[in-house]
Amino acid sequence: MSKPTNPFLKPDGTKCSCMEMLQQMVDSEVTTDQREYFKQHLDHCMPCYKTYDLEMTIKELLKSKCCGGDVPSDLIQELQTQINQKIS
Amino acid sequence: MEEVQRQKYSDKEKQDIFNGEFMPHIRSMYNFGFRLTLDRDDAKDLVQDTYLKAYRFIESFQKGTNAKAWLFRILKNSFINDYRKKSKEPSKVDYQEVEAYYNSEEVDRQITPDLRVESLKDMIGDEISNALNSLDVDFRTVIILSDLEEFKYEEMAKILDIPIGTVRSRLHRARNLLKEKLSEYAKSMGYNKSNV
Repeated sequence: MSKPTNPFLKPDGTKCSCMEMLQQMVDSEVTTDQREYFKQHLDHCMPCYKTYDLEMTIKELLKSKCCGGDVPSDLIQELQTQINQKIS
Repeated sequence: MEEVQRQKYSDKEKQDIFNGEFMPHIRSMYNFGFRLTLDRDDAKDLVQDTYLKAYRFIESFQKGTNAKAWLFRILKNSFINDYRKKSKEPSKVDYQEVEAYYNSEEVDRQITPDLRVESLKDMIGDEISNALNSLDVDFRTVIILSDLEEFKYEEMAKILDIPIGTVRSRLHRARNLLKEKLSEYAKSMGYNKSNV
């Protein structure tokens, strides 16, 4: 069976390093094929597995802890009032 | 950002775009404003200015295109022009140095800070938020755009007026600085090499 094509190959035919693949994954800049390939790569590359796990944990924490803070209700009201004044 | 042909909208269309395409992003916009200014009152003023500017220049916006990226770009520019000047923050990172570093072979040999997933899971939230807020505003911005708002490299490049390669390297550097900061918190919480 022929080896599957590496979807991380650069235009010049060279392979991406682990670090480059990791960065693309963490930044969500991958195709479905690249994602699948990287998931398989994680099964036999412990440094990548550990780093990816850490990076994704940080991403999830950022998303859950730093998106909060309700918009002040008077901000929305003031904006609506000012826009209505411009229209009328 | 590329020149966009000016549109001609009726008052009704302007109102529909404002309410239907701009207002749904106000929560993200307010959070972005707060994370940039680190002050709730300033964030409110910044968001208000941004939305009023967006309305004023609504004919430069093409209906159905990426309103969120368009609004984020206006907010970022307003922040730079109106707020950053007021603050005494030494803002400019030496990007030439950063770029030179990331084009060097040092990148792949870089040592990851001693930070473990277990120590992160014990952080209650303030540590994450404080670590993010402590980053230089340019690094903080790329983390917000990528991780909180899920913008792609190309959108970030347009919002920030920088090349995609710079987005990538700045984001990489920002993630490492954030890890260093979180590692300091982890150490202060008693996590170190001996107990992992």
